[in-house]
Amino acid sequence: MRRSFFGGVNPAPYKESTRRKPIARLEYAPEQVVLPLAMSSEGDSVPAVKPGDRVAVGQPVAAGVDLAVSTHASISGRVLAIEERPHPWGGRSAAIVIENDGQDTPWDGRPQPLDSTRVTLDLLLARVREAGIAGMGGAAYPTAEKLRRAAGKADTLIINAAECEPYVTADHRLLLERSDKILLGAQTIARAIGAQRAVLVTEGDKLNAAEAVERRLRKRSGKVELCTVRTRYPLGAEKQIIQTVTGREVPPGGAPLDVKCVVLNLATVFAIQDALFRGRALTHRAVTVTGGAVARPRNLWVPIGTPLSCLLQSAGGLRETPCLVLTGGPMMGTPQHNLEAPVIKSTNALVCLTALERRQQSQETVCIRCGKCVTSCPMHLAPSFISRALRLNELHRLPKLHPQDCIECGCCSYICPARIPLLERVRQARELLEKGGLD
Amino acid sequence: MDSIRSLRLPPQVGQPTTTRSMMSDVLVALIPTLAMAVFFFGPRVLLLTAISIGSSVLFEYAYRRFTHQSDTIRDLSACVTGALLAMSLPANAAYWVPVLGSAFGIIIVKQFYGGLGKNFMNPALAGRMLLATFPILMTNWTQPMDWLPLWGVDAVTSPTPLSYLHDGSLPPLSLGQMLLGQRGGCLGEVSAFMVLLGGCYLILRRVISPRIPLCYLGTMGVLALIFHPQTVDPLQWATAQLLSGGLLLGAFFLATDPTTSPVTPRGQMMFGVGCGLLTMLLRTHSPYPEGVGWAILTMNCCVWLLDRAGMPRRFGAGRFAVLRQWAQQARENVAEIHFVKPNIHFHFFQGGKMPGEEHLDQIRAQAKNLGHFGVVLVCAVLVIFGVHRFTDLDTARAEAKYQQELLAQVMPQAAFSSETPYRAPGALSIQAGYSQNNELVGYCIEVQAQGFSGMVTMEVGVDLNGQVTGVAVTDHKETIGVGTNAMTEEALSRYIGKSGTIRLSGSNSVDAVAGATATSEAITAGVNRALAIVASLNTEGGDVSYVDGEV
Repeated sequence: MRRSFFGGVNPAPYKESTRRKPIARLEYAPEQVVLPLAMSSEGDSVPAVKPGDRVAVGQPVAAGVDLAVSTHASISGRVLAIEERPHPWGGRSAAIVIENDGQDTPWDGRPQPLDSTRVTLDLLLARVREAGIAGMGGAAYPTAEKLRRAAGKADTLIINAAECEPYVTADHRLLLERSDKILLGAQTIARAIGAQRAVLVTEGDKLNAAEAVERRLRKRSGKVELCTVRTRYPLGAEKQIIQTVTGREVPPGGAPLDVKCVVLNLATVFAIQDALFRGRALTHRAVTVTGGAVARPRNLWVPIGTPLSCLLQSAGGLRETPCLVLTGGPMMGTPQHNLEAPVIKSTNALVCLTALERRQQSQETVCIRCGKCVTSCPMHLAPSFISRALRLNELHRLPKLHPQDCIECGCCSYICPARIPLLERVRQARELLEKGGLD
Repeated sequence: MDSIRSLRLPPQVGQPTTTRSMMSDVLVALIPTLAMAVFFFGPRVLLLTAISIGSSVLFEYAYRRFTHQSDTIRDLSACVTGALLAMSLPANAAYWVPVLGSAFGIIIVKQFYGGLGKNFMNPALAGRMLLATFPILMTNWTQPMDWLPLWGVDAVTSPTPLSYLHDGSLPPLSLGQMLLGQRGGCLGEVSAFMVLLGGCYLILRRVISPRIPLCYLGTMGVLALIFHPQTVDPLQWATAQLLSGGLLLGAFFLATDPTTSPVTPRGQMMFGVGCGLLTMLLRTHSPYPEGVGWAILTMNCCVWLLDRAGMPRRFGAGRFAVLRQWAQQARENVAEIHFVKPNIHFHFFQGGKMPGEEHLDQIRAQAKNLGHFGVVLVCAVLVIFGVHRFTDLDTARAEAKYQQELLAQVMPQAAFSSETPYRAPGALSIQAGYSQNNELVGYCIEVQAQGFSGMVTMEVGVDLNGQVTGVAVTDHKETIGVGTNAMTEEALSRYIGKSGTIRLSGSNSVDAVAGATATSEAITAGVNRALAIVASLNTEGGDVSYVDGEV
């Protein structure tokens, strides 16, 4: 019997419109790409080029300092400017703008491909750092740092192919089309960091991908395990996927390493193996362009830095005016106000929701104590109690309700029949706790 | 892209269920039960339900309107309260009964505490249990399958399965009858199957979680299996306990009311088990046959405690940390229980000063507060006493009517009867019957005799010539369809005109009814006893003694 995590919700998947569509190249290449200096969660990189320089695909244009990851040109052309541009995380930030010359000339200075049997930890870390890889599932934590910390301490490497967000199918297609390379990458990483187990976790709605992986596993007698679990949001959350695979719970305030696990996103693993065995930096990624407002929803192989509007153009444009445009899935994604914002390393989808899909119908009403938020919280919190304590200003109750454990999956807000923005309340409570030091 | 707007935090989508849709699902789930009730009791049920729902909605609207609060009738919670209240009424309840119940439920239990989501007791159930404190309103159960007229309902009493269970015997019903509803009871409890159907619908629609009903019914079932009467098969006893009374309605519709049940999963399980324990306790150890309502209301009051006890374990905290946390929580909970000193001050004169302007103000304010309190108190007392008085009158009227009918059956020539000062051993009561002209016609004696399976109580009329004028059986425990054959009008009319000592055979005899010998003998014995009592009354006019020699 497989262990599972508590709670969770089952949002309507809406994956049918893109799950059968192969990852395709952009029909209309971008005229320019915008590479923000802030691409990982750990600080900005420093520009290594000047306006007017000519760059080739894969050439580093910004160097990482400390933990920050470096950035590479995703098209060949001329550096136009280094200026403030809209950033998908909101607001504007400094970015390197490159004009496309349409040649896609590869960079001469890229490293030699490695043989899979000869990859050592140092080599792996060096290549990953060189390729500028950051977590591609959304959090954008520098992967090299994650692997460095995990080396020798983790006994389980978990490849997260759950993709539990509705609408998004980029990882599904990547797993289906590139399963061989992903398995090789997973095996290599696990050996390099000294993990005994490498587990690839996928959900029941990606059975064709799971079958493809299983066929490959049979052939290669590899050490990677496949774990297919019932579709439920938020399986893809780090703590929940660890709990599902190993039954271990990450202690409060702890990290996955505390329970000897390291979780890598599927796209990250693919990028790592690209860097190791083909010597390529992270310049492209798979992005799902979907939603009811998109004319031709599809999966695209996109140069990082491509403006969102260019993605929409390749997906047939907008069929109707969207009610909301998001990068990432609708549960945890970020709303976009400006379609000139670029695709960054952690962008896995562009979702344009119609008003009908968004179901943004009703006003907040009173809590009827149905308890659905409590039974759906995967972190064992009681959001209705936290919200009540805030409403009644009973702040002394907050420390016992542990709002700081929240992973912001949004299950409580999603399930609430009274439409109370519970996630917002929990976040508010956490900020109060951190600020006021109530305990 | 001006139209692209987003202000909310994630998630950006919501599921379609709203409070309103949950409430309408409950209404949908009640439709089969209501349909079955209409099938059994006739269209009167529909009118009763409509009045109940209508009055609930009206009270909710009126209260919110008068207190200048937002209009909440659109969330349908008042409709659900009204429907559930109607489901827990007997079919022959007077039309004002649900109005009183919903007034109490909606205004006092729900709105006084702040409306939907803030009340601590289930309003429908609280209204129903208030009605249950008035003796006559809620104890008349109608036999199914005879449709009631819309107006003017007789109080025909039919035993409910619970009254059998309360006495420690199985109700004389087959499993199919219990499931489909050939039995007396409230609208919502006659058909177990339909309630189950509605409950399954609610669970499948995710309106309720199955935790509370399963724990409730499971506890009841296990307790019934363990503590069953010696003479009864435990499995049959458990089935009868589960299917009879308002248990299913309570478990699926009343105990699962989101507002008044715990929020946490573990709390919900404890809630269900607690309801089961209390219901079994009340069913077996209280003077009333039913305990579901009181059990759920009692557990409603414990919800805050269960919520604390059932709080989910912190993610990532070890098992022993959980135990430690529980112990600490328990200590804190106990520490938090303290008595709040009532905040009432009666300082009319402070510091012995002469009352100045400030003091006058203070006194006025206090007098005003006291006045408000007094008005509320007086109103509440008036309402409760008024209703009790009203229903007591009803009781008296029903009693008088019953006596009159009995007299007509036992002594047709008498116009009215009155209590006599005579007492005689063996006679439960002796009444004198008088004709229109106020002349003594005879005596009605209430006697008892041992029948086949218990005492048979009967009223025997004897005229001044010492001849029987009529016999009526008022209470018995004989088998329906067998022993009752000796109680038909035809069988009883054979005693009319007899005098002296009636024998079982030979001269001056009344033959036993075939198959009901013991009951026949009991009735004959009772008639003989009555004849003897009257004979001694006539000779001595007072201190009568009767020797039990004949039977």
